[in-house]
Amino acid sequence: MEQPAAAAVAAEQEGMAQGEDLLHQFERILHHDPLIDEVGFLHPTQFQSLDRSQTGYSTSESHEYTQEYLWCRDHKLAISSEVLPKLYRTARHAYSNSATAKDAALLEPDLMSHSKALLILCPDMLTAWNSRKMVLSVSYDFTKLKDELQLCTLILSYSPKNESTWSHRRWVIKKVSEHHQDMSGLVERESLLVKEIAEKSKMNYRAWRHRCWLISYMTREQVLDELKKSARWNELHVADNCCFHYRRSLLLALLDSHCIEGENSLDFKSEVHLLWKEELRWNEMLIRRYQGRESLWIHRRFLSQWWVEFLLSGEEMECCAAGTSLIDLFLSQEIYLLSDCLNVPADEFGEACIQAELAALYILWISKATP
Amino acid sequence: MGCLRFLLLLMQKKDSFESLVMEHIRLNGAYWGLTTLDLLHKLDAVDADEVIQWIMSCYHPESGGFGGNVGHDPHVLYTLSAVQVLCLFDRLDVLDVDKVADYVSGLQNEDGSFSGDIWGEVDTRFSYIVICTLALLHHLHKINVQKAVDYIVSCKNLDGGFGAMPGGESHAGQIFCCVGALAITGSLHHIDRDLLGWWLCERQCKEGGLNGRPEKLADVCYSWWVLSSLIMIDRVHWIDKDKLAKFILNCQDKENGGISDRPDNAVDIYHTYFGVAGLSLMEYPGVKPMDPAYALPLDVVNRIFLRKRD
Repeated sequence: MEQPAAAAVAAEQEGMAQGEDLLHQFERILHHDPLIDEVGFLHPTQFQSLDRSQTGYSTSESHEYTQEYLWCRDHKLAISSEVLPKLYRTARHAYSNSATAKDAALLEPDLMSHSKALLILCPDMLTAWNSRKMVLSVSYDFTKLKDELQLCTLILSYSPKNESTWSHRRWVIKKVSEHHQDMSGLVERESLLVKEIAEKSKMNYRAWRHRCWLISYMTREQVLDELKKSARWNELHVADNCCFHYRRSLLLALLDSHCIEGENSLDFKSEVHLLWKEELRWNEMLIRRYQGRESLWIHRRFLSQWWVEFLLSGEEMECCAAGTSLIDLFLSQEIYLLSDCLNVPADEFGEACIQAELAALYILWISKATP
Repeated sequence: MGCLRFLLLLMQKKDSFESLVMEHIRLNGAYWGLTTLDLLHKLDAVDADEVIQWIMSCYHPESGGFGGNVGHDPHVLYTLSAVQVLCLFDRLDVLDVDKVADYVSGLQNEDGSFSGDIWGEVDTRFSYIVICTLALLHHLHKINVQKAVDYIVSCKNLDGGFGAMPGGESHAGQIFCCVGALAITGSLHHIDRDLLGWWLCERQCKEGGLNGRPEKLADVCYSWWVLSSLIMIDRVHWIDKDKLAKFILNCQDKENGGISDRPDNAVDIYHTYFGVAGLSLMEYPGVKPMDPAYALPLDVVNRIFLRKRD
């Protein structure tokens, strides 16, 4: 009985040594190339097909064993899925040791390096993110916070819905905002990042939530600019309700800002009115072009409901010559749109049928919402 | 139902990479699994003492919160799960109730919102979690309920739904949290029931399943989020329950048990729980009735609120 037990212990020790080798090499790669922008967890057969003649990091020190499982070139990192459990366990263990160590200050570089390795393997590890927040809270260091955003970007590139990563990102941005007056550059880059992530990850609630959250940091000019820029993107993603919700949030932010600034409120009001009118026209164009898209009709519900309120608030001043109120005029246009949608000939995909249904629901909605 | 076999198998399988990277939410997993077992009248299949001992090993006596597993930082997400599991076993006595109530109530912000932990991320989910935890512990007086309600109401959208923050897109999961919190605090009058009911009913897809937002595919988990919200606002008769029950049953793995998000996908504990909970809300035979606000079996909730307190 003793011999197999001894063999098992030896095997376990060898396994642990291999794990440590792997982790060491993994952290070395991350340290040497802070610009890694893509991580792939590859099946061993895929991993074998990588060109391993020349990898990005120096091979003099690297162990032959680890080369079988880790690869990095042109800021792209590949990890063989075969070693994931082992690498994860070792990183988890190393992180725990450095997080609970008494001499925390001394072990800070270790803590940052182990938590980074662990989070790349498992971004949900809230506790590891917290350790990093703890270290970053000690003294304000803009460069370190920028690196932190870079780490989040890397993780979001393959885990775009990861809640903890988005939350950590907001924490970093809040930290930066405490020390910087001008957030416009950062906000613009953040918005762009969400746009890029949203192209690959459809209707990603967390990503769009981040973009909506950014609005509170935007100037009025930036809000207008975002509206202008997102129009084209939305035209290419008409089935994405999130991107239309983003426009709704931007429009509401404009309404809010015109309430705050009293002096030019008339100008602002007419500007917002023009924007709203244009948004209604644009939305109708999309509705007619893309049949049966729920998100387009939901956007119209929102626009119309506000529009009716605008019209009601200004009704006394503006009345048409013929005696019909602007509201009646607007509603008759909407009913005209409905009848157009009801009269579209049936198609093989059933889109005309869905369009008719959505149009009818829309009119019903507006009739309930209009006093 | 094959769910039981699947649940028991799951508890033994701990070494795959998939289960390794889920270790940080094991407390949530315990709540999903054990509530499902209780709904199926099988809670006695597990060793209660063993579970409670493990739950308490996730407790942080300094803060009063629970981590997702042993050695993980505390967060309200796991604190509610711990309290709910203890409710299932009728063992709230193992808690330092004041300490736990202090932890969650201490996370209320000036505007009435709640952070999930000391690091300050705000979300309407956390409002629900804190309110539900405190109600189960009979300590709702520890927070400013009026401000908490006002904040939730400020997250209401023009479509009647609620998002994660003011101006956030309406989402069935967030709606459950906001409606649940308003129900527990007796503040449902802030909701336009017809308007929200309309939005929730539009979540039913052609095949009978419910989605969580416009333009998304149906997913079993929304059976719970949408149905419970509809029940709380008294509009559940607006959807086709038979079609929904059929959709959920179609997502079962008939050989190995468990329920998946959509027919023919791989099963998991999360969707198994939400599928069974959804069936429970539709009074499916053999499944215990569930309370739509506290997300616990009705008999457990009754035990907490109807029992004479010393």
